[in-house]
Amino acid sequence: MIYIFFRFLFSLSFEMERVFLTSHSILTCRQLFLIFNPKPKHTIMPLNDANFHQMRNAYNKMVLLLLVFVVVPLLLSAQTTPVDGMKDNTPSVHAFINAAIVTAPGQRLENATLVIRDGVVESIGTNIQPPADARLWNMDGKTIYPGFIDAHSDVGMKNPRTELDRGSLSWNPNLRAHLKAADEFDTEDDGTEELRKTGFTAALSVPPLGIFAGEAVVMSLADGTVRDRVVRQGVAQSVNLTQSGEFGSIYPTSPIGVIALIRQTLYDTEWHRNAHRIYHDNPAGHQRPENNVVLAALEDVVTDNQPILFRTSGEEEILRVLRIAEEFPIKPWILGNGHEYKILDVLREHRVPLILPLSFPETPNITTPEDALNQDLAALRHWYLAPENPARLASAGIEFSFTAHGLENSDDFLKNIREAVAAGLARSAALAAITTNPAELLGIGRTHGSLERGKVANIVVTDGALFDDDTRILDVWIDGYRYVIDREDEVDVKGEWLLAAADGSVEAVLHVKETGPGSLGGRITIDGREIELSTASLHQESRRFRTDFPGDTLDITGTIRLTASVAGSRLFGWAEIPGRERIQWAGNLTSPHPEQDESEPRVRPARDLDLAEIRPAMEFGRSSIPEQPAHVLVRNATIWTMGPEGILENADLLITNGNVALTGYNLSAPSNAVVIDAQGKHVTPGLIDAHIHSGTDGVNEMGNAIVPEVRLGDVLNINNIWMYRQIAGGLTTAHVKHGSANPIGGQNAFVKMRWGSLSNELLLEGAPRTVKFALGENPKRVGTGRYPETRMGVEQIIADRFRMARDYEARWREWEANRQGIPPRRDLRLDAIVDILNGEIEVQSHSYRQDEILALMRVAEEFDFRIKAFHHAVEAYKVAPELTEHGAGAVVWTDWSSFKIEAYDATVYNARLLHEAGVLTSLHSDDSQLASRMNWEAAKMVRAGMDPVDALALVTINTAKVLGIDHMVGSLEPGKNGDFVIWSGDPLSTFTKAEQTWIEGRRYFDLEEDALLRRQIENERSKLIERILEVQND
Amino acid sequence: MNGNAMMYQMIKFLVYFLILYPAICISDAAAQIPAPAQSQPIALTGGTIHTVSGDVIENGTILFEDGMITAIGINVELPENTRVDDISGKHVYPALIDAFSRIGIFEIGMVPMTEDINEQGPVNPNVKVERAFNPESRHIGIARSAGIGVVVTSPGGGLISGQSAAMLLDGWNWEEMTLKSGAGMIVNWPSAANEERYTETLRELRTAFADARAYKIARQAMNEGRAARHDLDTRWEAMIPVFERDIPVVVNANEVRQIQDAIVWAQEEDVRLIILGGRDAHFVTDHLKAYEIPVIVTEVLASPSRAWEGYDTRYSLPAKLRRAGVTFAISGEPDAANANRLPYEAGAAAAFGLPVDEAVKAITLYPAEILGIRDRVGALEPGMDATLIITDGNPVEYATQVEQVYIRGRKSDMNDMHRQLYEKYYQKVEEWQKIRQHQ
Repeated sequence: MIYIFFRFLFSLSFEMERVFLTSHSILTCRQLFLIFNPKPKHTIMPLNDANFHQMRNAYNKMVLLLLVFVVVPLLLSAQTTPVDGMKDNTPSVHAFINAAIVTAPGQRLENATLVIRDGVVESIGTNIQPPADARLWNMDGKTIYPGFIDAHSDVGMKNPRTELDRGSLSWNPNLRAHLKAADEFDTEDDGTEELRKTGFTAALSVPPLGIFAGEAVVMSLADGTVRDRVVRQGVAQSVNLTQSGEFGSIYPTSPIGVIALIRQTLYDTEWHRNAHRIYHDNPAGHQRPENNVVLAALEDVVTDNQPILFRTSGEEEILRVLRIAEEFPIKPWILGNGHEYKILDVLREHRVPLILPLSFPETPNITTPEDALNQDLAALRHWYLAPENPARLASAGIEFSFTAHGLENSDDFLKNIREAVAAGLARSAALAAITTNPAELLGIGRTHGSLERGKVANIVVTDGALFDDDTRILDVWIDGYRYVIDREDEVDVKGEWLLAAADGSVEAVLHVKETGPGSLGGRITIDGREIELSTASLHQESRRFRTDFPGDTLDITGTIRLTASVAGSRLFGWAEIPGRERIQWAGNLTSPHPEQDESEPRVRPARDLDLAEIRPAMEFGRSSIPEQPAHVLVRNATIWTMGPEGILENADLLITNGNVALTGYNLSAPSNAVVIDAQGKHVTPGLIDAHIHSGTDGVNEMGNAIVPEVRLGDVLNINNIWMYRQIAGGLTTAHVKHGSANPIGGQNAFVKMRWGSLSNELLLEGAPRTVKFALGENPKRVGTGRYPETRMGVEQIIADRFRMARDYEARWREWEANRQGIPPRRDLRLDAIVDILNGEIEVQSHSYRQDEILALMRVAEEFDFRIKAFHHAVEAYKVAPELTEHGAGAVVWTDWSSFKIEAYDATVYNARLLHEAGVLTSLHSDDSQLASRMNWEAAKMVRAGMDPVDALALVTINTAKVLGIDHMVGSLEPGKNGDFVIWSGDPLSTFTKAEQTWIEGRRYFDLEEDALLRRQIENERSKLIERILEVQND
Repeated sequence: MNGNAMMYQMIKFLVYFLILYPAICISDAAAQIPAPAQSQPIALTGGTIHTVSGDVIENGTILFEDGMITAIGINVELPENTRVDDISGKHVYPALIDAFSRIGIFEIGMVPMTEDINEQGPVNPNVKVERAFNPESRHIGIARSAGIGVVVTSPGGGLISGQSAAMLLDGWNWEEMTLKSGAGMIVNWPSAANEERYTETLRELRTAFADARAYKIARQAMNEGRAARHDLDTRWEAMIPVFERDIPVVVNANEVRQIQDAIVWAQEEDVRLIILGGRDAHFVTDHLKAYEIPVIVTEVLASPSRAWEGYDTRYSLPAKLRRAGVTFAISGEPDAANANRLPYEAGAAAAFGLPVDEAVKAITLYPAEILGIRDRVGALEPGMDATLIITDGNPVEYATQVEQVYIRGRKSDMNDMHRQLYEKYYQKVEEWQKIRQHQ
């Protein structure tokens, strides 16, 4: 019995499928194409038992699906599937008449006709006769738009496969470029309906998981099989800039590692292609190159100009993409993030295709005044400015497509576009961003994006202007099929009715009105007695009206219940009356309810705030970097030159074109010089911190013990309030270091504190390359099971990689000698180690105990190079002679101690003893706060017995020397950078503070300006909070 | 015993005497030995005496006997057996007080067995920090070299952490080092960030105090024969001095909500309140003044917690409190190993608006007053302890050298672990330099 039931379902499903097996001439053409295409992309598989069973399984699955979606109209053109049962030839010719049609952004026809046939636009215009075979749709009062296109979606990608366990995969699960969205597309709960509700008719389906995540495909958002829905394959390769948590702690674990892996993979792709070409031509005598499906797939990116769609969060990631694109011949697209308005200048210059999400930030929590206190200006500003982002991009002449990506609620898509329009985006630009722009970008412009003869019949029907707040999307038509989104009421009972019992026993006046969205209520008057209806409802499909009301005012105990069929302006009903015979009655509409538009206009914050464009877009941000006067003359100061001239009392400092020109007495001011009288003040070089971790996204790459290929310079982030605070404390240069999770860590970055610049403009040009090493507790306690777990292992793995790098270098040299055969693979990690061994990257190593310091020096000596400096080096004083003999510097804290066992033998005399033993010694902070008062750190060494000039050298010239940047900074000697600080007094006194900080002859900090900025910030904050209150209280 | 065995014994003996024994001796020498109690009157003459509570006396004399100051002035009559130290050109200050510290209950981070800070559970009013105070901690000598004579070691963790104690930084055991037991009842005010959690934790706190108060009343009734027996409750017994206002409640509160809510709570509970932390105290100085609530500012050398606040918000907090008339003291971070930074915390406040004399008071007189140890330490007056320092300048200035510390008349060993390690390895450098010169 059950079997028969299932057989029935099975046959039913055949029936259902037959419905969408309409055959057309297009189909024939396609079949012909497949048959005659000399190089078919996909060969047709012969039918055998195995794939028969596959098909059978798929079919069973399909049955289940159909059970779920049985009411949804299914798709048209299943072109290769055989017809079963009766052929369906329901006409698919539709004529939309009396419509307002927006054929393309900015092009509108009134009272026009659109004819579609078999999913394609047949004709469109104002003087068109609907064809005789067309079904007519009266579009009076409605507007037709081209179907929307989502340029970035996860449709069909909701449950990506995490584990790939077949085939010639990459070593790293993050590399899955070979996955094609069309092949991975999962139709179960695929998100199609959500997108359709918003007016989307086609969407780019983007593989989400991994770093090289796979190829995106444009899919039709009609229902049906994947094969019917594919619009365009291989549109772009999807790339993520942040690591996924799906693969555990595998490399890469950080944004620095991600960029390194992207770079390595692109180099590997070149190598793989090249190696196979060489091997193919001449396989004998060559080691067979690996066959890597990922690298093979990426050839399209490197050679065929297939775009890479980078998925970004925050404007810094956009800058990172642009930097990657400078290194490789790739064509980047960017999935943006709403922060683009912060880098308009850059985007204007680069013209990268941009896909813009509309996920605006949540309203900052200002529920209580205390909550408001905790809201930063950056968050408040972004809340206000995010809706302006599209308008600002548009007025900068930057084209973009919108996406619903990132919206938790799909209803927010239209709502937020309307916000963007209210915030200044032209309606035509908004429409272009969901129609023509994505169509062009995705390469489907010849069929999608506008309504023209021959294009696909994808339309959106609304009851008004799309960007008006109350306009609803009624229908979406995709590939010629109708999807009802917001069903219009076909029957209305609102108004005044005169009811009469068939037997004439009673008459009544019934008032029906809308009491809320979709709910009815009203009153009934019988014998002059007015009674509130307790329920009232209308069932549209069956055209039935029902209402109940209490009988007590009519001296009837209980509830009187009316039910009636609605036929236009007439009701045919009967009544259930407790204790009496049921009676029949009829009703006539005496006055229809007037249309009422009660929806209140949406409250939006007034767009009247003049928020200057500042960088970074946060507290103390600047509208531009400070100007650089041709000459700056600081007069009458106590100048700590930190050079051979020592301290000059009552002296002058001249800065010309950003560099130190001269120090001396009674210098004459060049004309147009900015002259500062610093009587009673002290002037020092800008302070330098040899070791900070602020201002980067990611500090540690923990996915491997050896990661010198990662570079902190790739992930600098200007949205870093610490930088401003550090400038306020006289810091002008910093060495931004990788973390200590690895025996050989990443490459560090030198930054100048050019607050107000872009992150890539912070890098100190001319600085050496340096790498972080780490010894002792930290590298040995990363996770469990990772080599090394002892100091012994730390020493050994470093030496082992040094040997590997020497062998790698030798292999390259051998190949370079005759350039025959397959070249060695370029390995960014070993490249970096070769550079370390050859002194081109200097080692700045984290360390604590004397044993490990000594051990690393000995390893380096075995490989014939020198360690530039040991950082932290809490026990460096115990091996001061050895450090001197090796030539290593020491970069230490003043008084950090006992926070772990390897820091127990710390002493405040560390720097002093090192200095006395002739070790080049510097201080460092390793702490964002401490970095903002390094003069006071130096001062601690005066208490520990050092000479004041020697002490200040620990944060100026010595630091510059130990970092290899003393040719540019660290002292006020002619030719060096004009980085200096004006102090209120002796820089080593606790009673002193920095009054001005200058970098390259530009005044980046000034106490007076700081006071002004604080007032501006308070002012801006209070205005923004006021705007939020206005919106929330309304 | 055959030859081999004898050889083995000989080697063992030699190893012991030649290697281990000297090692033991070195570690003996390395340990700082507590100074003996004062045995004769000592007069420091010729220096500038900063009494802090009163005048600065130039070229004065300070005399102390049996650990107590007996006279201060220009013409002080000295008892016969007085040891007179000429300290011309030097300065005498009361020893500094660190009002919030972990010294004695913390040795090495990430080695939990060397820490005795957080007892298990949220309510521990009965634990007394001095009973776990390790006199052997190397951080004691290091703090002392920075001029600190008294630390208020405080437990942490939970809601009611336990009782802090004012400890003198010289002595053989905690008993003789305890200046004041029960200096404060440490309460960690819950974070107000999550409203629900805040409500819940505040209820927990109020309930604990209500239970303790009920216990006090029941025990009182029992003692007065008005009620049957009530068993002793160790936790609530420890709270009785809090209700009797003998022990202040030291509430760790930084955010403005926390501070105000703690004030209201303390008034309702009728307990003495000290605010510890006080980061946002400048927003509500009037409220603090209205109930004369003192604030121990725990971190001056810090940056603001909110990006929009000025970079010097924390540096200038003491000056703002002073201008508003709020009683305050400055303490450093509580980390035992960083107590040496206390003078600089006060100094930073001086760079940002606090008068220099006030900066000194903020780490001497004011904490003594706030914590009820003003009769013994925090100023230089006859009758007070001879717990003082000799310096070559203002102790909050970086360049100043703290040359000698006296703790209750004991002349403390200034050779702390930092200096010992320096001296030990200086020898190595010297030897190496000699060899290099010969080469």
